[in-house]
Amino acid sequence: MRILMTLLLLLAAAGGTAVVLTRSPRRQVFAMAANGLILALLFETLQAPDVALAEIVIGAVALPLMFLVILASARMDRAPRRPDGGR
Amino acid sequence: MMNALPWAVSAGLLAIGLYGMVTSRHFVHLIGCLSVVQASTYVLLLAAGFRWNAIAPIFSSFAPGTPAVDPVVQALVLTDIVVGATVTALLLALALELHKRRGTLDPDQLRPLSRHRKG
Amino acid sequence: MNARARLLTFLFACAGLGPAVVVLILHLPRFGAHALPYGDLINDSAPRERHVANAVSAVNFDYRGIDTLGEEFMLLCAVTGVVVLLRSKRGERVDAPAGRVEGRSLRPRSDAVSGVTRLLAPVTALFGLTVALHGMTTPGGGFQGGVIVASAISMVFVGEGYRSWRKCAPSVAFDATEGAGAALYALCGFASLLAGLPFLTNVLPLGTLRHVFSGGLMLIENAGVTLAVAGGFTVLFGEFLEETRVETRDDES
Repeated sequence: MRILMTLLLLLAAAGGTAVVLTRSPRRQVFAMAANGLILALLFETLQAPDVALAEIVIGAVALPLMFLVILASARMDRAPRRPDGGR
Repeated sequence: MMNALPWAVSAGLLAIGLYGMVTSRHFVHLIGCLSVVQASTYVLLLAAGFRWNAIAPIFSSFAPGTPAVDPVVQALVLTDIVVGATVTALLLALALELHKRRGTLDPDQLRPLSRHRKG
Repeated sequence: MNARARLLTFLFACAGLGPAVVVLILHLPRFGAHALPYGDLINDSAPRERHVANAVSAVNFDYRGIDTLGEEFMLLCAVTGVVVLLRSKRGERVDAPAGRVEGRSLRPRSDAVSGVTRLLAPVTALFGLTVALHGMTTPGGGFQGGVIVASAISMVFVGEGYRSWRKCAPSVAFDATEGAGAALYALCGFASLLAGLPFLTNVLPLGTLRHVFSGGLMLIENAGVTLAVAGGFTVLFGEFLEETRVETRDDES
């Protein structure tokens, strides 16, 4: 149990570092999903199943979906805007 | 080492998340680093409530009275995760509107008192 | 501040706070030393006084119910903020064509994806409702169950495409669901006031321990949270996905 806990804590630190050091936003989304799963395992080991359930759903489903949609929407063709805001 | 490892991991995640936010080149990457900072608080709170050889605070299979970990911090972290995701969505919507108006999401090119803007 | 100045300021702050953090870490209680006393009190009294097996749900909906009311309204405000930001320029039409990205081909949806989501989306929605309903006896509750239901609805988008998903999740219905959930939670508090007791006191019969319908007023609050979270996240996904469609008319502004 102590070994598992130590391992998961170190993995959580590594996961957080990976999220920060992945500079490309599209790749960072997948690092965030992996980090969410690692955190969910850590929370489960800390005897918090409610929190682990919430972290799995949010970290692996809701947040990556929202990030990917915003990134896709930012890459879309839009009509060019004049600098003062009009079309 | 095990006695202080969760506190150290939490402090480390906070530091690296803040470093990512300070040196970010893309606002969506910055919002991702904010989620790392949030994760550091979750680790700290849940580790504060932990107790060795105790069960989760759910007494459906165990009799009430068995040593269990702290439910108060779990309640805090649980609502925090869900509502934090919603606030992240609001930040992402703001970033998208910024991109629509200025065409870029680079913080260094979006300084408000830039000389190229009129007014 | 330019980037170098930001980084230097950050490193300076770290150098100043770093030793303090290290001293703090060494002086905090040992991990597992169980230094928080309220948890024991609640673990003792939740099954006995509130007849609820899940102490975390008891804290969320009964002992600290007013904090959860605040969290629900935070959720409502954040979703309203997103809707105001994104719908104000776009309007409320839902039949815009899909946006294109330069240099990227559009591949048709594969049959495997459609088949798997057709099987999994109803099962996931049912699982989400189960998790939400059994919040008093097993790990789970309104927050987790609501997000699972919202993700089941977004699976329809993955498998069937935009138009089917729009028919399945009309934004008016889910706006109303979210508001209804938040209002239901607030009305629970007023029900206690009508009985002459403080806001959000548990006034319904409490049931038996480990039974699905135990906890009294907590069940209705749980249902309110499920509706609000499911509605809120579906509206959020809807607003974001609408942003990937092309604008078909000029802005009035």
